[in-house]
This record gives sequence, C-alpha cells and structure tokens, in this order.
Amino acid sequence: VEPALTTAWFDEQSRMTPEEVHSVAFPTSRLGRRGYEEGAVREFLGAVHAEFLRLVNERTSLWQEVQRLRRRIIAGEADGDSQTVLFGEADAHIHAVRILSTAQVTADRYVADAQDYSTRLTEEARLRRDEIMHEAQQYSDMLLDDAHTKAREAAVSALNVAAAPQSDEEQRAAQAELAYLRTYSDVYRAHLRAYTEGILRGIEEWERKETASLQEAAQGLPTAGARAIDGNAHLHH
Amino acid sequence: LDVARLRESFAHVAVHGDELPLFFYSDLFLKHPEVREMFPVSMAAQRSHLVDALVKIVSQVDSVDDLTAFLQGLGRDHRKFGVVAEHYDAVGASLLATLEHFSGPAWTPELAADWQAAYELIGSVMTTAASADEQLRPPWWRGTVVAHEPRSFDVSVLFVQPEPRMDYLPGQSVAIESPSRPRLWRYYSMANAPRQDGLLEFHIRLIDGGAVSMALTSKTVAGTELRLGPPVGVLTLGQPVSSRDLLLVAGSTGLAPLKAILDQVATLPQPPKVHLFFGARTADGLYDLDNLEKMAAQYSWLTITPAVPADPKFADPKFADPKFAGETGTLADVVARHGDWSQHDAYLAGPTKMVRDAAIRLAAAGVAQDQIHIEDFGWSQP
Repeated sequence: VEPALTTAWFDEQSRMTPEEVHSVAFPTSRLGRRGYEEGAVREFLGAVHAEFLRLVNERTSLWQEVQRLRRRIIAGEADGDSQTVLFGEADAHIHAVRILSTAQVTADRYVADAQDYSTRLTEEARLRRDEIMHEAQQYSDMLLDDAHTKAREAAVSALNVAAAPQSDEEQRAAQAELAYLRTYSDVYRAHLRAYTEGILRGIEEWERKETASLQEAAQGLPTAGARAIDGNAHLHH
Repeated sequence: LDVARLRESFAHVAVHGDELPLFFYSDLFLKHPEVREMFPVSMAAQRSHLVDALVKIVSQVDSVDDLTAFLQGLGRDHRKFGVVAEHYDAVGASLLATLEHFSGPAWTPELAADWQAAYELIGSVMTTAASADEQLRPPWWRGTVVAHEPRSFDVSVLFVQPEPRMDYLPGQSVAIESPSRPRLWRYYSMANAPRQDGLLEFHIRLIDGGAVSMALTSKTVAGTELRLGPPVGVLTLGQPVSSRDLLLVAGSTGLAPLKAILDQVATLPQPPKVHLFFGARTADGLYDLDNLEKMAAQYSWLTITPAVPADPKFADPKFADPKFAGETGTLADVVARHGDWSQHDAYLAGPTKMVRDAAIRLAAAGVAQDQIHIEDFGWSQP
C-alpha cells in the first residue's frame, strides 16, 4: 500500500494513540477551583483534530487504492491476462497530483520560514531603533546641559574681563552673549561629533554581527532553505 | 438542483481540510501548466481563500441575492489576475475531479451532475459580471509612483498617477501589486477624494515581515510602475449624504480612507460637523497629524483629537513626545469619553482589533448598527 495522501508536516514519531486520548490528564486550574486549564484542553483538542484529519485522508487514500486494485483485477479478468493495466492513466495522474502537492507544501514551508525570519529581523531592528532613539535623547539632553553650563561659565568670565575702561554696558552684554554662544556651539559640536562617531561604530558592529549570524544560519540549513533566507535578508538593506 | 445533497456532499469532503485545495491546485496545474504563473510561489494563503469562498458559496446557496452579489464581485475581481472565460472550464474540471476524489464511494452520477450544474451556474454569474465590467473599465491600472514621502519610522506616503484615470468613491480601496513582489496583491485605501489631476495618495505602514509593505515603503519604490486593481469597498458616505454629523475613528494608516471622506465633506455645500479621532501606538506614529491640524484650522466644522494608549510600555517618558497634546487611552476609550455619539454616523478604520473594540463600544453606547460603518472586503480579504 502506498503512503497516504497526507502532505501536512506531521512528525511520524508523535502520532496519537487511542491510549493517550483515554489516559490524558489535564492540569487543574487555579488553587481552590475545580476544572481543567483551558490552554491545555485547547492544545489537546488541536492534536486530536490534526490526527482526525490525517485519519480521514488516509482512509480516502486507502479507498482509492482499493478501487485501483479492484479495477486492475476486473481488467485482468476481462482480458484473461493478469499482466495488463498494472498502473492505469488515472492512477498515474493521481500519483502526479500527490507528488506536485508534496512539492508545493515544501515550497510553502520555505516561504513561510523565510517570512518568519524576516519578521524576526524587522522586530529586532524596531526594538534596536527604540533603544538607540532613547539613548540619543538622553545623550542629547546631557550634551545640552553640559554645553549650557560651560557657556554660562564663559559668559561670566567674559563679563569679568569686559570690566575694561572703554566698554559700556551694552558692549559688555554683547560680548558675554557672544562668548556664551561660541562656547556653547564649540562644546556642542565636539560632543555631537563624538556621539555620531559612536553611533556609526555601533551600526558597523551591528552589520558585522548580522552578516556573521546569517552565514551561521546558512551553514546550518539545507541549500534551498539557506537560499530562501539569504534572498529574504537582502530585503532589509 | 438538490441543495441539501450538495451541502451534505460538501460537508463530507470539507473534513479533508487543506488536502482539498491542495489536490485541486495540483490537478489544475498538471492539466494546465500555463495557469501556474498566475499564482504566487507560496500557495498557502491562496488555498485558504479558495476554501473560504467555497464555504461561503455553499452556505449562501439559498439566499440568491447575496450569493449573486458575492459571485459578481468575485468575477470582476479576478480580471486583474488575467482570468479569462476559458479558465473557468479548466477550474470547473479540476473542481469536479477534486470533489470526486474526496467523496470516495459517495460520488454518484446524480451528485456529479448536481455539482456540474452548480458550477456552471457559479461560472456563468462570474463570467457575465466580468464581461459586463470589461465594457466599463480595464482589468487593472498602471500606477506610476511619482513621489514617496517617509513620514515616520514605519509609515510612508505614496503619490501614484494611475493610467487611465480612475474613478472611485472616497473611502474605497484598490489592490496593489508591486513589480518587485509579483502575484502578491494587498489592499490599500486612497487617502484623497478623486482629484482633477487624477493623482492617488496611499498611506503604507511597514508590517514586520510584510513582503508587499516592505517593497512599498522602501525609497526605491519611487518611479516604479505598480499595478492597481479596480476600486472596491463600502466605507463610503451614503447617497445622498445623510444629515447626521460624522464621527471618524482612525487607527494608524486606517486614517487613509477617512481622510478621503474628509476631502469629500470639504466639497459639500453644507458640511456636517466632523470629529476625527486619530490614534497610534506612539505619538511618533501619528504620522499625518500636522496636515490634519492644518485642515482643522481651515475648516470650522472639523475637530481633531489625537490619542495614544496609556499602556505603561508606551507611556514611558522615553517614548513620549513632550509636545504631544492629545489624549491617552485606547481609541475606543477616548471616543467613549467624548460623550454621546448616538446621533452620529460613525466610520471606523484601522487595525482589526481596534476597529472591533471601537464598534462594540459605540454599539453599547447606543449608536445604531446601521450608523456604524466599517470596511467589509468579504470576498477579497486584504
């Protein structure tokens, strides 16, 4: 008998037995309350459902196999020759449908895997982006404070210096303002440059790590899967 | 046509689950290999669409009006995929072969004749609608992306010039196919009422792992030529426009169809009062708030209330925009807080859960069902 027309990705080892259904024990719900935990029951029902689907499909396949053999016997009797019609045209077609279906499910699986991988990458990128934004915000607040403090000091000292005989009130104020702004801008620019360089280094490191992990993932997978994942990963760049 | 027998037969084969559409498409592609290229690589979503459509047809087979409208829509909708009359025979043959295969001993000549007759009926409604549609409009429009504007981390606004000009009702949507993601169509709403120059505005949010949204939010989309399906959707103002004031509730890019409706309201001789609630996960996600506030300043009939959730994760000061002056809470909560909406027409668009929550809340607060408008793609889930 040929294998059943069941192309879903079931694990042969974990088939459910009637014994399991009979002896299943659900964990009880919260303390002091009777009844099964909903999640456990739902999971079990899911497994029963999958098994049921499989049985139904196996039964259909077996019925078709019986029909095929029956046709073969009848054809053999009619011809008086048991060698004829071993595998009719209709049977060949069903066989081909089965092969194509298996191939399609495999393709679907690879696409779904690649999609999952791509989802994970975007999620990570999103989290990473939130972190970077947060850091940048904090750092920028700090920079501003620092620049402000330094500039105020500069302004104060400019005021003191400007006690020179020829300067009037306005000129001193303007000089103080100018010193403030110059220092503020110098300090801010220096900090900003350092910070931007820091971020660039962080991005380079991130890219390097991503490439490394992609290569690692590619090595651990069959060729087709690795290709699917690589193909998907380049969408992000 | 024995409806009860068809139903029983369908229930009998439906227990085979995904194997049913799997067999159907394999049979179809083996007999007509040239049809394969009309479909995407992964057929998983396609299979569930087929089963959903069959379930809907079989369950509605005795409410002829609903079913006819559904099938007509389906027939028109399939034109954009390049489906022509000859394909219907091929599909019918494979459908019958599939039903026969899974019916086992229950398959009789009478049942086969019933299914054959039912399919011919379905096919003729679909092809008649499709050929009537041919007289009115193209199967799809070429749409050149003339501008791509990133508005926030994950939202981009596209301006698309369709060729030929496209007529539609404000609030409607089209399916979009990007050249870099062939055979994958996703629905997006036009965010403007039809304009003199025919330009269409779309708001695209990057979905994690979303193949099409990724292609459409990428800056390389500028200058490319998209395919646009025919405009569809029922999230539109009634004809004639009702005299009630309007409540618009938009979550994220659900803003697009409601902004098109705002456009339309602005052209009315006597605009009703409009209150638009615009919500997002974070203040940063209120990607079009500046434009909306400009509109509110211009039009005395328009009130805008932005909202972001009070969820502690997002209310964290590190994400909060100190300049944000909107409300906190889920859209459903914020809308409910703003009083009595029972005399309004409500239009809701956005993430499924948000729309459902808001609709339930409004209904509970006494807004009649026929005053609550949400998009129902029915035969063509976005």
